[in-house]
Amino acid sequence: MINTPLEEGYFTIRDDGQPVLIGSYSPSSGNTYYPTRKLCPVTSEPVETIELPIEGELYSWTFVRMASIGSQEKKAGGGHGVGQVDLPCGTRIQTAIAGELGDWEIGMKMKLALLPVKQDGDKQLCSYQFEPIK
Amino acid sequence: MSRDVYVAGVGMHPFMRNAPSCRDMYFTAAMETMKDAGIKFQDVGALYNGYIGGEMMEGVSFAKDLGLTNVPIVHVENASATGSCAFREAVNAVKGGECDIAMAVGYDDMIKFTRSKAISAMAGPPKIEQTILPAAFFAMWATRRMHEAGTTVETFAKIAAKNWNHARHNKYAQRQSKNIVTPEEILAANEVSYPHTTKMACAAGGGAAGAVVVSKEIAKKLANGRPLVKVTGSQAKSEHYTDGHVFLGAVIGPEDLTRVTTQALYEESGIGPDDVDLVHVHDAFPIEELMYYELMGFCGEGEGDRMVADGETSIGGRIPFSTDGGLTARGHPGGPTGLAQVWDAVTQLRGESDKRQVEGAQNAMVHMMGAGSICIMHMLQKEG
Repeated sequence: MINTPLEEGYFTIRDDGQPVLIGSYSPSSGNTYYPTRKLCPVTSEPVETIELPIEGELYSWTFVRMASIGSQEKKAGGGHGVGQVDLPCGTRIQTAIAGELGDWEIGMKMKLALLPVKQDGDKQLCSYQFEPIK
Repeated sequence: MSRDVYVAGVGMHPFMRNAPSCRDMYFTAAMETMKDAGIKFQDVGALYNGYIGGEMMEGVSFAKDLGLTNVPIVHVENASATGSCAFREAVNAVKGGECDIAMAVGYDDMIKFTRSKAISAMAGPPKIEQTILPAAFFAMWATRRMHEAGTTVETFAKIAAKNWNHARHNKYAQRQSKNIVTPEEILAANEVSYPHTTKMACAAGGGAAGAVVVSKEIAKKLANGRPLVKVTGSQAKSEHYTDGHVFLGAVIGPEDLTRVTTQALYEESGIGPDDVDLVHVHDAFPIEELMYYELMGFCGEGEGDRMVADGETSIGGRIPFSTDGGLTARGHPGGPTGLAQVWDAVTQLRGESDKRQVEGAQNAMVHMMGAGSICIMHMLQKEG
């Protein structure tokens, strides 16, 4: 199976299998955004497409008692984790997070990982999630 | 041209889980609204329909049940703030002199709408933008608040219980408990998304609501012995960039959006938080109402929990919030929600709210967020 992004433009998968989010950097404001912007939302000046850091800190989290994306069934534990992760570049990512209720603490270190969602022929379509760094 | 604008009539179709057709609800709400104002459809100079889930031109089609009068009809949509947006457009039509009488009608059936949308979404591959469910946004806001301010789940439960109990005396509310609802019952309900339970979540269902706004001259003619209700402020703002801004998918938006919009409303209306007698907010979950106490200036930062503990936001308290049950218990069909807020605010200012009445109410403030990205607020004032 070949891991493939669910949609183009949000992240890429490196040769070593590590996903990397694609964002925008604004030279005029110094801000970094995710997902990509057509212009800097602060200055309306052009932005540059960049790869974002793959590690960050958990800003907040929850455990949703519903099936996650692409699934009609709840996982063992009855739902899925969702969090907000602050990257060192100042960008906050709202994202699925790996683990179960009780696994997360605000401020803990997190790293980007693939989240398999659906098979399409020989492709494993993937979204992304952050998982605690142990 | 800028004229004073008054609310001459309000009306509703009950909010409910198993609702009749949107066409029937629209008709009922529009007729109740015009009856309350004492006008006929032939008197309406501009009509604004607010709905999220309908088909193309659906509102125009529904309006044909009211009459064919050449009246200009416009469809507006801004997610949860749709009804508020329709109301604001009607206010601006009268304010700007386009007409002397304008009507806003909002309707939706969120149960049928979300089911249809879910079936449509499942037909294709899942999307990155759909990864996060709305319940999660508010829950993460709550988790962060608990971390920063020491807020407990009991505070959220008390806010929700208060709103359930306010709705007990609202015949149009979706959730009408026969018994007093306790915070313990709220906490014992199934969890939706930690730390929120199903009884903290806004009630999804169907419903419709409307409002007629008029010039001062017309308002006096239609008053029929009732006090006039003046629109002293109308504000709408979209986001500005703040640290930690989230762009992907629907969001709760920056907290600052409510603060900025409220400040503009206070300035426009010449009314400050000490003058406001009751408030309606977008309380999809109790974390929202708690945060808005502070963002609207009714207490200092981090003091919202104390307001809840002291019962300050209950009817009879210092500044009652969600006096008809709010989104939590009156319900949140989508399109009509902001107009339901106006219905309660107007009846409160007229002194017609019976067991829900806020004694001596002079100023009422209403607030709705649209997908976290739009904030629409109005200030209504009793006159005479």
